[in-house]
Amino acid sequence: MIGPFLRLTLRGITDLRLHPFAQLLTLMAVAMVTLLTGLILLGVHNLDQELLKSRGRVEFQIYWKNGVEPAQVNAEWETIRAMDHLNAFKTFTPANALAELAASLGKTGDFSRLADDNPLPYSGLAAFAVPPEAQREGWAAALLSTLKELPGVDKVNYAPFQADLAQGWRTLTRTVIWPVLGFLGLVVALVVHNTIKLSLLTRMDEVEILALVGASPAYIRWPLLIGGLIQGILGAGLGIGLLVATHSAVADALNFPPFLIQLQFLPSSQLLILGGAVTFVSILSSWVAVK
Amino acid sequence: MMVNVERLSYNFGSYWALKDISFTLEKGEFLFLTGHSGAGKTTLLRLLYGALPVSRGRASVAGFQLNHLRKRDIPKLRRKVGVVFQDFKILPERTVFDNVAMALEVRGIPRTHLERRVRAIIRALGLETRSYSLCERLSGGEQQRVAIARSMVANPELILADEPTGNLDVDLTMHLMEIFKQFHTYGTSVIMATHSTEVLECVPNARILHLQDGRITKDGDPLDDTPFDEDFEDDFDEEKP
Repeated sequence: MIGPFLRLTLRGITDLRLHPFAQLLTLMAVAMVTLLTGLILLGVHNLDQELLKSRGRVEFQIYWKNGVEPAQVNAEWETIRAMDHLNAFKTFTPANALAELAASLGKTGDFSRLADDNPLPYSGLAAFAVPPEAQREGWAAALLSTLKELPGVDKVNYAPFQADLAQGWRTLTRTVIWPVLGFLGLVVALVVHNTIKLSLLTRMDEVEILALVGASPAYIRWPLLIGGLIQGILGAGLGIGLLVATHSAVADALNFPPFLIQLQFLPSSQLLILGGAVTFVSILSSWVAVK
Repeated sequence: MMVNVERLSYNFGSYWALKDISFTLEKGEFLFLTGHSGAGKTTLLRLLYGALPVSRGRASVAGFQLNHLRKRDIPKLRRKVGVVFQDFKILPERTVFDNVAMALEVRGIPRTHLERRVRAIIRALGLETRSYSLCERLSGGEQQRVAIARSMVANPELILADEPTGNLDVDLTMHLMEIFKQFHTYGTSVIMATHSTEVLECVPNARILHLQDGRITKDGDPLDDTPFDEDFEDDFDEEKP
């Protein structure tokens, strides 16, 4: 059982040499579509990363309740300082806050009369820089809740604009990216389908003779499916290779002030999905062609 | 019974290629199909190896009911039936060995057994010196011998031959008919469509089924000494090369 299966698989591979020009054109077309898809993914990925970086920088203005013991406030400041991804934490005692306020108002800011009856609470400005890989679903809300849940905290203010902007972009890319990838998948499918169909047309005599001597449909189709598989694997591999070369050529294209953006390559999971999807579409279209 | 055909008809649109024909073929029998071009010989053969669907009438071949033949059973039918054509239908860019071996490869015969069988049949047909020659470099007679070898290598129960000597000269025709006769003596049933009286004379005890406009006009028993009717002789006179 294994012998004929391997023989047919081998035949599918060796038959690729029967129409070298058509096979080469298909290979190039599959590689180009893979490269184009890869470039789109690369662009989206880098834009995503930049937005996630800015989105990850969030500042919280924290106010403690009036009358909270300084020891408790100090303990909660330490808790905040121990939190992950804290970038900076500026704290204000009521006296500090009053002095800061007075300094900011200049000559008109004389609040010495309030020194003994300071209405300002303990407060702090916590800046977080959460890296993209740590930005789980609802991370900003979770951070807000953690801060609000500190026993001495009265209220926490933050500007949700950046997070909303980044979220909006992500929603947009998820809406647009799938139709674009679907379209490119369709292009791969048509290219491989047409090549396999062409291969079948030029091999009609062989198919007819095989059918005449009692070959089962699977026996006839398997080598052609293997041809599609090989086209998919080689085309995807070549396309990804070209993507690597293109990336290394342009990786520092935006790495100058004021951008200072080092273009990152696609993560291996996305590369695997890209290669796998192209190969899968190639096999699928071969199957449709020989059916 | 190898073949049983009952009231079989077949049409291509409004043209009826076969009209209500019935006949049987016993195991080991040799049957010639004769008649004009367009008489229905090729259509009948194509129906018998499952290339055309049987929709009117009934037919069975080697135990397969062609009326209810499922697509997946067609390869099984064809493994019991060897088919030879006037235009050989071999792959010119492959070797003699590969062309003949194809019929055994599709059956999943182990390689060592396959090689032994293929070499034996190639030797029997006098092609042993050409085993690894590409078929495109062979003469017409050699190519037809390759086609016959391919049809016979798997020991089919029935051979269907459609004008197998139509493109060959008289000497080659005689030689190939000797090969068919040899396989027939081993018990293989044969149905051969032909125009040629020389071919008919090669197997004098064969049964002859004469078709005209899709109908059987003569079913000659091998023991039947009655001469061909006038029309039948006229057919041959018209179509002699």
